[in-house]
Amino acid sequence: MNREWVKVVIAAIFEVFWVIGLKHADDVWMWIGTALAIAVSFYLMIMAGKTLPVGTVYAVFVGLGTAGTVLADSMFFGEEFSLIKIGLILLLLAGVLGLKLVTKEEGEVAS
Amino acid sequence: MAWVFLIIAGLFEMTGVVMINQIHKNRNWKSITALFSSFGASFIFLAFAMETVPMGTAYAVWTGIGASGGAVLGMLFYGESKTILRIVFILMVLGAAVGLKLVS
Repeated sequence: MNREWVKVVIAAIFEVFWVIGLKHADDVWMWIGTALAIAVSFYLMIMAGKTLPVGTVYAVFVGLGTAGTVLADSMFFGEEFSLIKIGLILLLLAGVLGLKLVTKEEGEVAS
Repeated sequence: MAWVFLIIAGLFEMTGVVMINQIHKNRNWKSITALFSSFGASFIFLAFAMETVPMGTAYAVWTGIGASGGAVLGMLFYGESKTILRIVFILMVLGAAVGLKLVS
């Protein structure tokens, strides 16, 4: 089951790269990189939906991508970091962890 | 008008998520085209909405509609699990994502 979740996490990491790219890319190579990152992240996310429920995968993908983007903004682009942001990121990670724990893969349960 | 565009963008994102389900059930060009055109239309309407709605707000609303709607439709039509715990955790993730976009 861990392999599918690894795909979701990698997809979310690539999502952070293309969101940064959409905002900061200013030459052809960076745009190509952004496009590649979109392709990789959506491909992995879609493939993870093969065994995990798509609603869960999409929520986790979007959530981790958002947390990653906020973190990247604070670390590399000088956006201010507040307690409320840390709290929300922790809430989000708790939700992701919870989803991972309650989610059964297809075939794991005879439904 | 921007808010109408934003809701339309969210609805297209929702159908995009449903199409991911559809692709795994039935992989053919019809569902692949539907997937790409849903997300494509969704991004176009999102960009329209962002001309007047602030970016963080627009993205937060868009994410909220698309991911929660996609999860609800997955439960209704694709037999995804409907346990209370799963619903609570999805709401937690989405609430936190929307909150992060709003405070950024």
